Amino acid sequence: MRSGYKSLAISALAVALGSQAMAADIVWARDGDIDSLDPHRATSTLSRQVWYQIYDSLLEFDDNGSVVPNLARSWEVSDDGTEITFVLHDDIVCHDGTPFDADDVVWTADRAIFGDHPSLTKASWGNVISVDKVDDLTVALKLEQPFGAFVPFMADQFTSMLCDSNADAADFGTGSAIGTGPWKLDSWSKGSEIVLEANTDYVNRGRPVDNPGAPKANRLVIRAMPEGQTRVAGLRTGELNVIVPPIQEVKSLQEDETAEVHVAEGTGQNMFLQFAVNRPPFDDARARRAVSHAIDKDMAIQVVYGDLVERQYCPISRGVFGNDPEFCQQHDQDYDPEKSKELLAELGYGPDNPMEVILATWTGDNRERMLQMIQNQLKQVNIDVSIEVMDIGTLNARDTQENNKAEGPGYMDLMGWTWFDPDLLYLLWHSPGAYEGFHTPELDKILEATRTTVDPAEREKIVKDAFRILLEEAAQVPIYTPGWLWLYAVSADTPGFKIGPFNRAQFSAMEAP
Amino acid sequence: MARFLVQRLFAAVLTIFVTTVAVSMLIHLVPGDPVQIMYAQSQGTTPEQLEAVRERLGLDRPLVEQYIAYVGRLLQGDLGVTIRGEQPVLELLLLRLPNTLILAASALLIASVIGLTFGFIAAYKRGTWLDTALMTTAILGVSMPHFWLGLILLFYFAVQLGWFPVAGSGFPNLVLPALTLGLTNAAIIARLTRSSMIDVFDQDFVRTAHSKGLPKAMVLSRHALRAGLVPIVTMMGLQFTYMMGGAIVVENVFGWNGVGRMAIQAIFQRDYPLIQGFILMFAIVVVLVSILMDVIYALLDPRIRH
Repeated sequence: MRSGYKSLAISALAVALGSQAMAADIVWARDGDIDSLDPHRATSTLSRQVWYQIYDSLLEFDDNGSVVPNLARSWEVSDDGTEITFVLHDDIVCHDGTPFDADDVVWTADRAIFGDHPSLTKASWGNVISVDKVDDLTVALKLEQPFGAFVPFMADQFTSMLCDSNADAADFGTGSAIGTGPWKLDSWSKGSEIVLEANTDYVNRGRPVDNPGAPKANRLVIRAMPEGQTRVAGLRTGELNVIVPPIQEVKSLQEDETAEVHVAEGTGQNMFLQFAVNRPPFDDARARRAVSHAIDKDMAIQVVYGDLVERQYCPISRGVFGNDPEFCQQHDQDYDPEKSKELLAELGYGPDNPMEVILATWTGDNRERMLQMIQNQLKQVNIDVSIEVMDIGTLNARDTQENNKAEGPGYMDLMGWTWFDPDLLYLLWHSPGAYEGFHTPELDKILEATRTTVDPAEREKIVKDAFRILLEEAAQVPIYTPGWLWLYAVSADTPGFKIGPFNRAQFSAMEAP
Repeated sequence: MARFLVQRLFAAVLTIFVTTVAVSMLIHLVPGDPVQIMYAQSQGTTPEQLEAVRERLGLDRPLVEQYIAYVGRLLQGDLGVTIRGEQPVLELLLLRLPNTLILAASALLIASVIGLTFGFIAAYKRGTWLDTALMTTAILGVSMPHFWLGLILLFYFAVQLGWFPVAGSGFPNLVLPALTLGLTNAAIIARLTRSSMIDVFDQDFVRTAHSKGLPKAMVLSRHALRAGLVPIVTMMGLQFTYMMGGAIVVENVFGWNGVGRMAIQAIFQRDYPLIQGFILMFAIVVVLVSILMDVIYALLDPRIRH
């Protein structure tokens, strides 16, 4: 039993040592830091999550994942689909007090597309020819040809709207960031924490969160804390309010009354296997199908993640336009080890001559465990798997390298991509492709049509044609969704946290402890 | 002493020169194409763009030219920008180096106070139960992984007792990581102090001092301790640099924003400019520390000065 004296001494010590967080702070701890505050200079989810707090986009996604107005109160696509006009709200104010108008939109788009140092994700803008200010509140973008994914892209963090006053700051992206979002940048101590202050002038024009105005808390402090156990400890002591929990702690946190676990839905994330297809054995579709048939995908995800993820049948995620699990199940490979062995025997592999392959993925989210499950299952059909786990940037480069190598053991990896539109398939598989891997002339044509077709019913049909090829050829073997950074543990005494579609954490309605 | 220092400085310059050569060539040791890895994240980069980057980085020029250009940039304080996020490397390093130095220095202080005390007592009480108890504790300490001890301290002092914050920056946050790093290293110092002191206690000059009838405390402090300290000081220099390495793990556990943590991340991300900057900086710190240790060594042991 703790004596009164002792607890008094302890609380006095605690007060003396102090915690840096102030009264009305929400503290959010993740495993790493952002790469940049400039949405044109990074691609990581950790960065995107923070941009979303500071910047708004022209459009937004509502709870169903449909595109709705945001900074733009309306938009119009010309009949031929090549000109898109946005009309802005007239009372938007940037964090530095300057008005947000057509000039800011033009500045942002010009910088991303036509600057000498364009955005890393420039290709997602499509073939924009010009960005013009029509009047103070109207901007027109002209495209070379219609681009079906353009409108939803205007709701993405990669098209975060920057205020043109950022042009005056030499340290934009590294020390300063002016947007129109619910939180203003106060400071970024690199590698350690980002401090955001509530934007008291904020008007919520489209975000799917139950707060029409400024955030309820005074500050949002975003900390980088690599060790998962430490984040859990911080949540338990009340030092942290929202954390990225380690998977193995999720169960105990779910049972803990002082914490709530939120699981993001409709994240748009896909976890799938892909192969180095320009050399044996995976240049032959039978080898790829053999791998797919040999994996009991339901069992693997149940063992590793339980109910925290869902089985994914289509090459694009649930909640994304065109996803149709029933259709996809007709074209993918069932769990059938016997069938797998037959295919392998056709290719000359068997118990005496096992197929040797490398299976790679990137670090985190218990993916290594997933690879071990797949390794065990493939062992049953005499495929010897060696596992390699690396940083996501390295994995991206490795995939391209492997597709350009004519020699060496078979290579495949568990990869994850997220996008709000089937245009993901164009980025991945239209020749030369994101990793210079699988592509066919037929698929190229279909994917081009998914971009230029604007009529939804027609487009859905074409998207499914692409699914059929990718699944039957086992070029992309879908396994589960979501796959990374989709879990949040929140202290029970700070209600109001919400995850919007596409894994966007909303803090505006959240109350500080 | 002056000549001694000049020799040391010359060796230091040579070491740093070799390091710059190694560091500037690091990028060529990368399996595959470094430029491709740098741009793995950006969509739709054309071969022409990659070629332009190769040219900008001078990767298409002869190695000697590349080295000269690299040193030229170094002398202007330009260590390049990171691949992830394009941030100036020097600024990132300088921002975090003090944190790691503070952590390593605090840990060394803790390790020295505990290690010297334990070691000295154990040597003095050699063969007694106290000696055995202290040395067993020391072995436990040496065998304890930083990671594990860190989590234990974290759960006890931060979660259960609530005395310290779990993670972050500032003095209260320094205590637990410094203890973690200090306690495990105290054991090494304790063992060394014990054996060094035992050697000294057995030597003639100590016996002479005793037989002259000098007070025991004076023999121990003025004669024995000073002689016994020489190898321990050398060890502490090594320990300091070793702790800067060990800080990597501890920094991760306690979210301490030091260079070690950043280096690990840079290595995982193949962020070459950052890795290059880190190695160079680490080499400079190690060289400086060893010069400092040599000087202290010389002050303690007059034989070395001549």
